[in-house]
Amino acid sequence: MFKRTLSSLSAALVAFGASSVYSAQLPEEVMEELIAKNPDSTYLVQSPQNLMMMPDNPAWDSVEAGEKLFRQPRGPKNASLEKCDFGKGPGVLEGAYVELPRYFADAGKVMDIQARLEYCMKTLQGFTDQDPAIKVKHGHTADTTVLQAYIASKSNGMPWNPPLNHPMEKLMRDTGEVMFYRRSGNMDFNCAACHSQTGQRIRASVLPGVSDPADWSKAISWPAYRFSHEATRSSSHRLYDCYWQMRYPNVTAGSDASIAVISFWTDAARGQPAILPDLKR
Amino acid sequence: MFKKNLVAASILAATSLLLTGGCAATNTGKVDYSKMTPEALAEYLTLESGSFDLDQPTQEGTTARSRVVQDDLQKACSLKKGQELDDQTRAKIMADAAASIKYPAGGFKLGDWKRGRELAWSGFGFRLGNNPDNHKTREVGANCYNCHQIATDRTGGTLGTVLTGYGKLRGNSEDMLKYTYEVIYNPHTYYACTIMPRSGTKNILSQKDILDIMAYLFDPNSPVNK
Ligand code: HEC
Ligand code: HEC
Repeated sequence: MFKRTLSSLSAALVAFGASSVYSAQLPEEVMEELIAKNPDSTYLVQSPQNLMMMPDNPAWDSVEAGEKLFRQPRGPKNASLEKCDFGKGPGVLEGAYVELPRYFADAGKVMDIQARLEYCMKTLQGFTDQDPAIKVKHGHTADTTVLQAYIASKSNGMPWNPPLNHPMEKLMRDTGEVMFYRRSGNMDFNCAACHSQTGQRIRASVLPGVSDPADWSKAISWPAYRFSHEATRSSSHRLYDCYWQMRYPNVTAGSDASIAVISFWTDAARGQPAILPDLKR
Repeated sequence: MFKKNLVAASILAATSLLLTGGCAATNTGKVDYSKMTPEALAEYLTLESGSFDLDQPTQEGTTARSRVVQDDLQKACSLKKGQELDDQTRAKIMADAAASIKYPAGGFKLGDWKRGRELAWSGFGFRLGNNPDNHKTREVGANCYNCHQIATDRTGGTLGTVLTGYGKLRGNSEDMLKYTYEVIYNPHTYYACTIMPRSGTKNILSQKDILDIMAYLFDPNSPVNK
């Protein structure tokens, strides 16, 4: 169903000589190409089943729900999100996701997709922190999850390219790096304990390493549908989950700590193609 | 409000933070990040920014804040890629680790390998968040299989060394038992800044738990040695 729509769309784009070569690709094609370029990666090849199921990825339902929500006038101000600026101008979604987190002058801070969505939901739509639209940060049907799925899908196949020109962007990225290596908790874990070398395993799960940009690109390709959760999940949820395993306190999606780590992890995949939406175990 | 920020700032002062009165280029609108080093900002974001829920009660009876305040070993071992331990710090880490070990009064009497097998497999315990582990309903596990292949009847991780055939290959001399007890209790005694948890020192496992896991590693009847 989706495949059909997408391929006819890409055919149309080719016919009109549209500039973006990436939009012609489906996530599974991006994944296949990444594997072809990195045939020795045990991480990338670990699940042929997942690859086979990508055309029917339930995350497409989230993309669809996200698009509806994006266009729908909502909130006390009865406005849609179509004027939200994700860094490339109001309403421009193509390629916006792979260039986050970034510094937003209007908010005076570095924001990831979660924080930016919340910002626009407040400023454009009039929602507050107490409204479920913002308060419920995780879940298959959570507003910010489906909105992210939609927005991210507009960056499928594009290289991760978070800007580092603004000093705050650089600072948040460097701070995220410090946090990635910061050990604490009952088990003395840092992120590097499990993600410094690629292809290692925790039991049967193959782990992506932060120093291998191709593997890491797949690793940070969220939103994705997670079979084990039967739900579409965002980057912030993945981070929450790893902190949970590390016996850390709950990290809030869209918080500055979350943005810092996500700034570092996106920079670590720089230049490699995003697979959006992805499908994961 | 400002007072609270000053308290935060004083913590950061140690790491050469200069907090100014201005608030240009803040990331929260509360504190000026632009004057901070990445190290100082990481401390601030972890402990003061409200990004983590530090008030949640933990299984050990503290609040979650205690989970993210670093001890000396954690600080010394937060090495970035390419950074290495200097010899002096390494020696101190190993000496401190050795000094933290409490030995069983009755010597290294191997316990129940069947219980040890389950402990080695289980990763339950100490997790917080929306799905906190309830230690009253289930025993805390030792996570060994997450990182080690041990017996071959279950799939282990590869972050640690292969421990298959442990007792059969190494024998059960007093030295070998002592070494193994010490590695499980606090592995930094031998491997400074290893990723393996300090299960004894950090009160994850009791002495009895460790002796049961040792039985799993050493007992000739354990699947590890079959
Ligand atoms: C105790 C080991 C451990 C630690 C520590 C850990 N992770 Fe993970 N991480 C995992 C496992 C296991 C997975 C799931 C891999 C899979 O399902 O294939 C994972 C998955 C991920 C993924 C997604 C990979 C994918 O396949 O989609 C990212 C990104 C990630 N972790 C980042 C982090 C960050 C950032 C930290 C530190 C805050 C961290 N991890 C700490 C074990 C860990
Ligand atoms: C987070 C991963 C991790 C966990 C969990 C872990 N280990 Fe380890 N272990 C390691 C690593 C890595 C080494 C190698 C030491 C080093 O160089 O860092 C090691 C070393 C060892 C050694 C010494 C190996 C030798 O050849 O002499 C033993 C014994 C051992 N672990 C047993 C255990 C047991 C028993 C458990 C469960 C209580 C356990 N480990 C849990 C990672 C882990």
